[in-house]
Amino acid sequence: MASGVRAVAQARGPAVAAGRRVQRRWLARFARRYPLGAMAGIAILGLTVFAGLANHLAPYDPLANDFGTMFAAPGARHWFGTDAFGRDVLSRILYGARTALLVGFAASLVGATIGGTVGVAAAYFGGTTDLIIQRLADIMISFPIIILALAIVAILGSGTFNLVAAIAVSFVPRIELVVRASALSVRETTYVEAARAIGARHWRIVFRHMVPNVTAPYLVMLTAFLGQAILLEASLSFLGLGVNEPTPAWGLMLSGAAVEFVQRAPWMAIFPGLAITFTVLAFNVLGDSLRDALDPRLRI
Amino acid sequence: MARYLTRRLLLMIPTLLVVAVIIFVLVRVIPGDIVELRLVSGGSFVTASVIEAERARLGLNKPIWRQFVDWMGGLPRFDLGTSMWTAAPIAKEIALRFQLSLQLAIMSTLIAVTLALPLGIAAAVRRGTWVDHLVQILSVAGLATPSFWLGILLLLFLLSNFHWLPPLTFTPLWVDPKANLLQLIWPALAVGYRYSAVTTRMTRSAMLEVLQEDYVRTAWAKGLAQRVIVIRHALRNAMLPVVTVIGLEFAFLIGGLVVTEQVFNLNGIGKLFVDAIARRDYTMIQGLLLLVATVYIVVNFLIELLYVWLDPRVSYG
Amino acid sequence: MHGSHAPGRRPELRIVAVLVTGLLFWLLSAPLGAQQPRTGGTLTFIVSAEPPSFDAHREVTFALIHPARPHYNLLVKFDPLNYPKVVPDLAESWTISPDGTTYTFKIRRGVRFHDGSVLTSRDIKASYDKIIFPKGDVISVRQGAYTMVASVEAADPTTVVFRLKWKAPSFLQDVASPWNWIYKADIIEKDPHWYERNIMGTGPFKFVEYVRGSHWVGARNEDYWVRGRPYLDGYRAVFIGNAAAQVNAIKSGQALVEFRGFSPPQRDDVVRTLGSGATVQESGWLCNNTVVFNSRHRPFDDARFRKALSLAIDRWGGSTALSQIAFVGPVGGLLRPEGPFATPQAELEKLAGYGRDIAAARAEAKKLLAEAGVPEGFEFNLLNRNVEMPYRYVAVFLIDQWRQIGLKVNHVVKETGPYLADERAGNFDAAVDFNCDFYDDPDLQLVKFLSVELPNGSVNGLNYGGYIDRTLDRLYDEQSRTEDAARRITVVRQFEKRLLDEKVWQIYVLWWKRIIPHSTKLHGYKVGPSHYLEDLQDVWISE
Repeated sequence: MASGVRAVAQARGPAVAAGRRVQRRWLARFARRYPLGAMAGIAILGLTVFAGLANHLAPYDPLANDFGTMFAAPGARHWFGTDAFGRDVLSRILYGARTALLVGFAASLVGATIGGTVGVAAAYFGGTTDLIIQRLADIMISFPIIILALAIVAILGSGTFNLVAAIAVSFVPRIELVVRASALSVRETTYVEAARAIGARHWRIVFRHMVPNVTAPYLVMLTAFLGQAILLEASLSFLGLGVNEPTPAWGLMLSGAAVEFVQRAPWMAIFPGLAITFTVLAFNVLGDSLRDALDPRLRI
Repeated sequence: MARYLTRRLLLMIPTLLVVAVIIFVLVRVIPGDIVELRLVSGGSFVTASVIEAERARLGLNKPIWRQFVDWMGGLPRFDLGTSMWTAAPIAKEIALRFQLSLQLAIMSTLIAVTLALPLGIAAAVRRGTWVDHLVQILSVAGLATPSFWLGILLLLFLLSNFHWLPPLTFTPLWVDPKANLLQLIWPALAVGYRYSAVTTRMTRSAMLEVLQEDYVRTAWAKGLAQRVIVIRHALRNAMLPVVTVIGLEFAFLIGGLVVTEQVFNLNGIGKLFVDAIARRDYTMIQGLLLLVATVYIVVNFLIELLYVWLDPRVSYG
Repeated sequence: MHGSHAPGRRPELRIVAVLVTGLLFWLLSAPLGAQQPRTGGTLTFIVSAEPPSFDAHREVTFALIHPARPHYNLLVKFDPLNYPKVVPDLAESWTISPDGTTYTFKIRRGVRFHDGSVLTSRDIKASYDKIIFPKGDVISVRQGAYTMVASVEAADPTTVVFRLKWKAPSFLQDVASPWNWIYKADIIEKDPHWYERNIMGTGPFKFVEYVRGSHWVGARNEDYWVRGRPYLDGYRAVFIGNAAAQVNAIKSGQALVEFRGFSPPQRDDVVRTLGSGATVQESGWLCNNTVVFNSRHRPFDDARFRKALSLAIDRWGGSTALSQIAFVGPVGGLLRPEGPFATPQAELEKLAGYGRDIAAARAEAKKLLAEAGVPEGFEFNLLNRNVEMPYRYVAVFLIDQWRQIGLKVNHVVKETGPYLADERAGNFDAAVDFNCDFYDDPDLQLVKFLSVELPNGSVNGLNYGGYIDRTLDRLYDEQSRTEDAARRITVVRQFEKRLLDEKVWQIYVLWWKRIIPHSTKLHGYKVGPSHYLEDLQDVWISE
């Protein structure tokens, strides 16, 4: 969708600069009105940079076992200490940010995009299609999100890719409901009716008139579910059903040895937990501010 | 209105039927089955014929449609079948854990509501002041903190400061209230924090919305006495979304605490679900999924009832 | 405590009085043996998993043995205090015919089931018939271990005769199997599935209750046939899966012991908290982790590649390191390092991957990789079971070891059910596998290394690697038929060299180590190489 917008912009040539100016002005206003949201956005940007540069920033190889320094307490050599295999906790947290962001972005992007598409389709076609989709969404929502994700992981198996799929699927009905509601309000407007009356094709109506109107709820849901996805990833990895060793991942770092040796090496449980909390916090704050800025009536 | 409610109640039946169908299909595509786990997991030598015999005994070699008919056939009689792992009736297995999960859900709700209502209202009434900011920070942080991690920290705190840990086995409340509460208060706190964060946010935003309505603004301008009266009214209206959130969270807590129950070693529905998945106990997974869905649907229905009761403006034909 | 302030108004005096009395008591009792068993008390212990059914003839998990074995007796049993000696249980004596094919057991008189009925040879026969010749839809997982048995006969009420088709050197140990609980014939005849959900035995403890997910309770059998036993009033097995919660239970005194085994950090944690209140017992363990290679997949069909994988593993270094965090440790070959068939150290170090010079071994491994045409950075999957201890630890270790010769390993973790299904279906490149047994017996433990298709046309379902090696098949038969113990060991050594050094079809990573930290209040318990043996008959607790 974003690429579609860009394509149009490029075709128009001189409009590109103007578009960028509008974007920049919008960002400045957003930062002024929602300082917390802007800070969260910067924090996320920072985290992304850290994750991207993990191979340059991490003081140690996150996978290398070092049996000479097992359970080392935080100190000058290992700022966040080491784990049961003598692996540097700080390096694993830095690399773990990659896993968290990858799973978070991938799962919520896929989930929000599928959910959004289905929501728009349901709203546009209405009638029986809508009814069936709504019933199905209602039913899927009746399972707690983690239960649904667990069941899907059981079907697909563990591992990063399957984890993304499981989380994305469990997001779909929740996002679908919100997007559908926003899309419905557009459907009955006169311009959509007019477009229909002149015999415009389905996809044209959907993309020209409905999609732009659900962009706001789509973006807000995307941000809100990013935090959720990271929390879910942590929970599933904690249960041994998510990311597998030795991949650095925050939830995985909290499971097993971290809990078992919590008294002996509390840093193994404290730092990854803090990383999760701060990251999710940043995404939630940004999500809140985006909602207030874009679509204040949205309840998420 | 009675007719409306009856209709809604009856509508739950086809919904649950569809839920049952979806659950059955979902569960049967889970790869690997319980027989391998039961007979071979010790590393011993088992002949193929023994494995086949066990499959037959559990009904796993019947055609899928036949298994489906068997399962659906039992549902009207509230017969969920027997666990493939323990051979005990599913209903009995679930009942055993339900008490703990229900009590934990109730305790967490109490904690959440006691915290959330005053904080949410205070934040809304004093919007933009430090009270509001503090409440907001607390609640956003609550949403971001994994409950199970909070649980780990709680246990660490108890261990290092008091060299004490909550009791390991569940004692029903009426048998020994002290032992019971000493075990469940910690997970209730860990879960209650997140829960209260969700509820506080909803209380705040619902109150804000109501406070902006004209009649409240007018009352605000006129002075204290009237303000109090109107805020009471306002609260009544603002309660609808709050009650919805509480209800949905409550439904989530029955069965949704899969990770927290692991951390505190609680014998609840969530742990049963994780075990059932690990064991590929199909009948048990089906029963549990049906239970959580039913709880959700029933809670939704109850919320609707509350709507009717709380908001006379909502009318039903 | 309340009100009885008479002995001394001042508390200090009271304490001194108590101490002096205690000291006197100790001085007097010490020479008589501090081990004077006390009768009474309830033993609370931890079980880390839960039993599926209650019928040991069809189950394979210690999670059934630990809570339920005390309700039953066996025909003969391994002495829990003196493993692997076989001692009488329900059979008070036995004779073996000179040709070794007839075993006659004399059954104890006056043994009663918990319902009051008297045990006779009929009950023994019915139980063994259920194990060896299951009828209808009855499942017996150990049927395959008794293929040598032609018949079980109850000659008279106190005599049971086992007739064998051929001479089996370790048949007595087979009969001492901790899984062969003796059930009541009348019940089995009426409903062969009854024992899956009910308990009725002759053991030292009667069944009280089992609350799923929570606990299992047994109470003293007042009419037990061993005079003065059991010592305990009863026991309470609490089910705790979470490793941290297990340690916490022992530390807080809510449980006294766990009979399977703790990891070293769990042990250290317990000892640090309980101090002198903790006793630690350690032993080798008849369990190990191996890696199976799927010889149907390239390049795992190349012995050079497989050998390189074994050479890359620093077993001695890994043993030192992993034994600090997981319950693995001893480096060994095919049979248990401390057992009767253990490979001597000097011979062991000659096998591929067992040398002391890891740098040289890795250089050789890299050379072999090059010869086999496996490029640097080659990727493969390692299938593993979703069990924390010790599987996850072993896999993290292996992946790191293989990384050091330039291989990239993807860790595929599955729940036990699908994991086993994948192994059987050959749906893996390499898989972390395991073996656990109650007795060192090459016949039993080497059978899984036989060719996937045996010369007689039958299929070996335990050969997950899918190879055919007639040399191994021949050596197996040879060791099994060899009566001379020393000669048998030599043949077993040849088998081991063929399997681990020449063909490298499968490799051993490390053997497990059993660590039982328990409260000093627990007595009459001795850790052994098998975690299937405890029956609580002689266990007692001090105040």
